[in-house]
Amino acid sequence: MVAMKQGDQPETRKRLTRKWKIPPVYITVALLGIVGLLFYLGNPNFLTPYNLNTIISFSAILLMVALGQMCTILVGGIDLSVGGLVSFISVAFILLIKPIGYFAYPVCILVGVLAGYINGIILTRIKIPSFIATLGTGGILTSLAYLVSPRPVNLAPSLYSVVDIVNGSLFKVSNVLYVGLAVLILYYVILRFTSTGRNIFYIGSNIKMSWMSGINIVKTRNIAFMLSGLGAALVGITMSSIRYGGDPVVGTAYVLNSIAAVVVGGTALTGGTGGVINTVFGALFMSMLDNGMTVVGIDQYLQQTILGVMVIIGVTLTFDRTKTPIVK
Amino acid sequence: MNDTSNRANQEAVLALCQITKEFPGVVALDRVDLTIRRNELVGLVGENGAGKSVLMKIMIGLIQPDGGTIKLHGEPITLKNPSDAIRNGIGMVFQEGSLVPNLSVTENLFLCHEADFRKLGILSLRSMRAAARELLTQMKLHIDVDLTVAEISPAERQMVEIARLLWLSQVYGHDNPVLILDEPTTVLADKERETLFSILQDIKKRVSIVLISHRLQEIVENCSKIVVLKDGKNVTEMAASEARLLKVEQLMVGHSFSADRFHEDEQRTRGEKEILRVENLRKAGSFQPLSFTVGEGEIVGLIGLVGSGKEEVCKCLAGLERADAGSITLDGRKLPSGSPSSAVRAGLGHIPIDRRSEGLALMMNVAENVNLLVLNRLKAGGFLSPARERKNARHWVAECQIKTPSIATLCSNLSGGNQQKTVISKWLSSRVRLLILDHPTRGVDVGAKDEIYKLMRKLAKEGIGMLMMCDTLEEDIGLANRLLVMKDGRLVKEVDSSPKMKPNPQDIISLIV
Repeated sequence: MVAMKQGDQPETRKRLTRKWKIPPVYITVALLGIVGLLFYLGNPNFLTPYNLNTIISFSAILLMVALGQMCTILVGGIDLSVGGLVSFISVAFILLIKPIGYFAYPVCILVGVLAGYINGIILTRIKIPSFIATLGTGGILTSLAYLVSPRPVNLAPSLYSVVDIVNGSLFKVSNVLYVGLAVLILYYVILRFTSTGRNIFYIGSNIKMSWMSGINIVKTRNIAFMLSGLGAALVGITMSSIRYGGDPVVGTAYVLNSIAAVVVGGTALTGGTGGVINTVFGALFMSMLDNGMTVVGIDQYLQQTILGVMVIIGVTLTFDRTKTPIVK
Repeated sequence: MNDTSNRANQEAVLALCQITKEFPGVVALDRVDLTIRRNELVGLVGENGAGKSVLMKIMIGLIQPDGGTIKLHGEPITLKNPSDAIRNGIGMVFQEGSLVPNLSVTENLFLCHEADFRKLGILSLRSMRAAARELLTQMKLHIDVDLTVAEISPAERQMVEIARLLWLSQVYGHDNPVLILDEPTTVLADKERETLFSILQDIKKRVSIVLISHRLQEIVENCSKIVVLKDGKNVTEMAASEARLLKVEQLMVGHSFSADRFHEDEQRTRGEKEILRVENLRKAGSFQPLSFTVGEGEIVGLIGLVGSGKEEVCKCLAGLERADAGSITLDGRKLPSGSPSSAVRAGLGHIPIDRRSEGLALMMNVAENVNLLVLNRLKAGGFLSPARERKNARHWVAECQIKTPSIATLCSNLSGGNQQKTVISKWLSSRVRLLILDHPTRGVDVGAKDEIYKLMRKLAKEGIGMLMMCDTLEEDIGLANRLLVMKDGRLVKEVDSSPKMKPNPQDIISLIV
């Protein structure tokens, strides 16, 4: 029988990969190298250990929220509320340390997961697309952040020890990196070794088939959004810890940056394909870009333009547009 | 229909010559010819999967042929898309309709061509309405042009679509356009059907019509020429005046059964145990109360025309739709209505008709698709074990003879037959008791069909009960132990189909039509 026509690559591969069969993640790595080299030529200080450490720390923070974001994208949705959630947690965490001390950590994490659960419920039960649902809840959370504290709040120096869990260092490596690594391992294990993780991929690939095969779509989607809430909450806590203070605007940049990190890494916005490793490189790329532009002295306002252009270029190279008949 | 006699001296409006179209793993059209002459009403018949719709889609530029030429008035042309086709005077009325429901009849008639009614830069609604009324009067239709399309009847919608196509071809200056109607009568009542055909006979004076229909009777009665397709090939072309219903049926089904194509030798008898019991299952608007059983290792064929309710019965069994009343018992346990997950847990598998959109995660690999239902069994210490996943996937790939370079190959890279085998193996690995097979050999080539037949025989030996709806009647008869015939939402007859005592296809056709 006809069976396999070899070399008959699926119509579903991006232009570059179709020609040379390169997985998208390698394209991201190549981009990382090229852009890194350009920054190095612009300012050799870019590659000093100190600066590399900075980039990796920021990547670790972006990675936490991007991994959560990736779960919602893999399941065919999107979470636009991460910015609001990071801001809210950022101020709530600092304000909670005074009355409840170390308990601020679990409380904030629970609040984040709960916010994700609410996003999930609005999508799965009220059946409002996650784009709109999270746009709404994101607005609410941002507003709550300002209501709780219109201005940045600082942590009393006597309580600095509480945030040293995140802000301290172990074996000369910042604890932020350990937190990032732990989150990375957690999400990897969930997506690779649990049924829920696998169901996230099945649903993103083909929701109708998943329903017909008896997969619990409501539960899986709720969990995906809870994972996103968890990531955002951890970022809120981390940002406040390293700054010894909360700020109601700190989360704003994370909506675009988390989505960009996921998509530049090669995860399809349509869901179903992508993964943790992709997002690691996506987060590295975005953080390097952010840092490198400052290091080589590009104008603060121009940076946004370049960032936008780079995101579009990155997605052009990695995102598989042939797969989606309609791009939303 | 006296125009059949002088057909020879009539000019061919549209000629398709040696059209070939291949899809991954299956040849849909194999050097098919079709000639449409002036003022001709051509009936195109063939069973599901014979290639009718692919041929139609090629005629309106929705699909590009791999080989062959299309000639319009003798000139070879390429049709890039449907709007290109209508510019060349070829238009199609789709089965599901292509009007915008919330716009008025007038607006639909002139959709995208409103500019023709511009006066001083502003659209003149009055002249649009007047033109709409005139158009409909020409076709002897009396429809309020201000009603929205949602408010008019299905028959009227078709008329409006026909009117639109006629008007468009007029705008593009074609005096004898080609109009393609894809099963126009399935949604119509008897009275409406008569009206449709009287209108078609009337407009035939200025158009050529290609009619696709499952109701052979109306084709024989109304068409001037009948073209029969089978397995993507031309079988025959005949003047309708010479056609006999029986003859056309025979040609559609194929002359005779090739020797034991369906492995009847291996057909087992129904086991003692009853696997599925359906009692008084009912769904308003789809089917009347019906009861039947499926035994251990038994293959039951559910047959009937599109719209006979057989699809809905299967959907209710699989939990995809909720039945109004009645009970479904699987292996002695009652299934709740409208819950696919409880049906799956109880051991009911469903091989959907459209495996690409309902059966597979195409962008995931073979192993991930095969293991979908049994993840819990592949765990070690609470987590999925890659080793067990590979083992299970390899086992089923071998068992179902899925031809794939590796278990990590994406399902989108497999041919139709191997994709189907992947879907089947997914259910088998979950140890199903009853499989519903919705057109299991749709869109797979002859070789893969044979492997699927063998696989079904093997499953029967293992005691799995099967309820199937097939592409062709001969497939139903050949594979089944028993046939359930449905007509207009009723279970009208049960026919035994034991090996060596297979019923005659013609007798069955007379039951379903």
